[in-house]
Amino acid sequence: MVLDDLGSSLRGTLDDLRGKSRIDEEDIDEVVKQIQRSLLQADVDVGLVMNLSENIKQRALEEEPAAGTTARDQVLKVVYEEMVDLVGDSTELPLEPQTIMLAGLQGSGKTTTAAKMAWWFSKKGLRPAVIQTDTFRPGAYDQAKQMCERAEVDFYGDPDGSDPVQIARDGLEATADADVHIVDTAGRHALEDDLIDEIEQIEDAVSPDISLLVLDAAIGQGAKQQAREFDESIGIGGVVITKLDGTAKGGGALTAVNETDSSIAFLGTGETVQDIERFEPNGFISRLLGMGDLKQLSERVERAMAETQAEDEDWDPESIMEGSFTLKDMQKQMEAMNKMGPLDQVMDMIPGLGGGIMDQLPDNAMDVTQDRMRRFEVIMDSMTDDELEEPQSIGAAQIERIARGSGTDEETVRELLSQHKMMDRTLSQFSGMGDGDMQRMMKKLQKGGGGGGGLGGMGPFGD
Amino acid sequence: MFDGLKDKLSSFRSSVEETADKKAEEAADQENAAAESAQDPARDEPDSAETAVDPSSGAAAATTTEDTDESVAASASAEDTVETDEDDGPSAFKRAAAFATGKIIIEEEDLEDPLWELEMALLESDVEMSVAEEILETIREKMIGETRKQVDTTGELVERALHDALLDVIQVGQFDFDERIAAADKPVTIIFTGVNGVGKTTSIAKLSEYLADRGYSVVLANGDTYRAGANEQIQKHAENLDRKLISHEQGGDPAAVLYDGVKYAESNDIDVVLGDTAGRLHTSDDLMAQLEKIGRVVDPDMTLFVDEAVAGQDAVQRAKKFNEAAEIDGAILTKADADSSGGAAISIAYVTGKPILFLGVGQGYDDLERFDPELLVDRLLGETE
Repeated sequence: MVLDDLGSSLRGTLDDLRGKSRIDEEDIDEVVKQIQRSLLQADVDVGLVMNLSENIKQRALEEEPAAGTTARDQVLKVVYEEMVDLVGDSTELPLEPQTIMLAGLQGSGKTTTAAKMAWWFSKKGLRPAVIQTDTFRPGAYDQAKQMCERAEVDFYGDPDGSDPVQIARDGLEATADADVHIVDTAGRHALEDDLIDEIEQIEDAVSPDISLLVLDAAIGQGAKQQAREFDESIGIGGVVITKLDGTAKGGGALTAVNETDSSIAFLGTGETVQDIERFEPNGFISRLLGMGDLKQLSERVERAMAETQAEDEDWDPESIMEGSFTLKDMQKQMEAMNKMGPLDQVMDMIPGLGGGIMDQLPDNAMDVTQDRMRRFEVIMDSMTDDELEEPQSIGAAQIERIARGSGTDEETVRELLSQHKMMDRTLSQFSGMGDGDMQRMMKKLQKGGGGGGGLGGMGPFGD
Repeated sequence: MFDGLKDKLSSFRSSVEETADKKAEEAADQENAAAESAQDPARDEPDSAETAVDPSSGAAAATTTEDTDESVAASASAEDTVETDEDDGPSAFKRAAAFATGKIIIEEEDLEDPLWELEMALLESDVEMSVAEEILETIREKMIGETRKQVDTTGELVERALHDALLDVIQVGQFDFDERIAAADKPVTIIFTGVNGVGKTTSIAKLSEYLADRGYSVVLANGDTYRAGANEQIQKHAENLDRKLISHEQGGDPAAVLYDGVKYAESNDIDVVLGDTAGRLHTSDDLMAQLEKIGRVVDPDMTLFVDEAVAGQDAVQRAKKFNEAAEIDGAILTKADADSSGGAAISIAYVTGKPILFLGVGQGYDDLERFDPELLVDRLLGETE
């Protein structure tokens, strides 16, 4: 995620301030230096970094901490506020008919983003269409078409056309039925005058409600100039950061947001059309400072549960809420977990588990837990339906059979059974909730009900 | 490429020059002042304040005035604080000797501000942080404690240090690409790797043109069986350039396509096989494992890592990971048009220990340049037009 390292290095530095009631200039200098380093390593523009760190330093030294606040909390507050100030709100995208144009450098991921955004709008109940105007790059038409087929959204393009402006115009006409028009453009460098002329003409033709700049998370200091030039020619209303599933921190996006006086609209986090997230500044900052991101988590949980349920009509997660939690439920929940994405990403969103604690876990902790989950899955595959529904009935002979059948040992099978028992007990505490509202359940968890056993599928990595 | 850095380098040079010149002047002033103050203790105060600011002239003053009057106490105490600040600085004796023979010595604190400026300039040019630090370290080593005759220009000294420091990190394992192709048994198999969207396929098209210009026959093999539109893209290039393309259906085994490419070249007497692979993020374990497999099955003669000149700090991460998964022989830097900052080139070469071989500098098939570190460094340090 963006600026992950800032989170952990900042927490490290701030921990050194713990217990101090007053902090002097030297302490602040150290904190500021850490922030500078992290931001620079995240590709945030050098000038922007200097401004930001100067603000933080000044405020941390001048502002009196409120009564009862430690120096550490005061610094944290200043950093938080300055970061929020910089990042701003998520780009406003009303759920109504509109035209969106995408612009950016070659290879930044515009075509993939167009299909992902279309998918996102379609999930919100709107009818989107993607119009591909890239007549330059070989294969652009085919890529866009295939991506749109995967996203199950309307597509317009002309593989033989050579005039992007004409294609854009025709495209709008041909997809008049759609609510949201997403106009993809050829990748271009913001300093190539003829290409900038071209995108200005496309803009004239489609008169978009908003133009989004698509930026590769790995972009360096060049982000500033690109953002400025694109903003001057077509006006940038928001930024999409792509390829955030790599190790790049996406600091170029902060630069671009600052330069264009806009905000972040979407984050691209993978290769399939579903791998798109709406940018959530609060969640982003909280995650950054190690406070978890509940909203993202509950959205992911809901989506994964719905998908798992769709695959197996007999299974009904609602029954868990009524207090009956079988091994089959656990199996389904583990499937749902897998759909939620890499464990460490999910973990990072859980309050109290993200940030600080994640830093302390050994690097392979997530792999180990994931291995264990995989073993559990294999074991459950070796059980009969009756055993899955009535785990209490499983006796020693059955354990032996299951262990042999799954190629594991009896101890692991017993481990699974006791894990289930623990989760069952924990879940029965939630059974009163009835309506199965995951978000409420999460809140309850946050207040301290959860702990080791935790929410259904999350049990297996509890200890 | 590198235009911003070029300006910054020349401003680094002039600010070090300035510091050194000021220091030489101050040293000269100090000599006069110290000589006078020996006669006139009343003038001591302002002078010792100055010596506190400027350590080398302070030291010089201390040695020239000897233990004759009060001014010594002031100068000596000023020197004490300086000495404790930097233990490994030149000794008072060396400084005195340098001073006496009309030379001055460049010290750490003379460089502190210019070096900070330089570090920021390197970062602004997308040089990765650890690599930037390495460059600064080299400059520090080469300059601190260096004496310069007052007749030499400090500019020359700085230029030499910059030249060496930059060349140290850029010029790694350079080899002659053309020669290696000429010497290798045919067919020569070259595999291209890199993350998504950096321009692998376009680079392949360009390199095939480069090789054809030099009289080699080339076949393309599309190992990107994953990305939508990948076959169509490389097919179009192949048609434009009139090259044979080996490809399978989308979703096929990339290693198999590349293997077929090699087989085709063998039976048709083709000189070079250029094998594309799907772009992948270095965090995707499965895809990186696939790359290892391709390396094993195809056993290419050369693996080239492609990255873009606009990449920032992350460039070294991915270069490292790709080098680990399927060891690379060199790199191609794309999108290296005039205005990109180009620090990625420096960083990638340094962390992988593998040379940058080519730059992609435009959208045309001919827009591929050989990368020459010496030339680049000379251009960086040359007169600003």
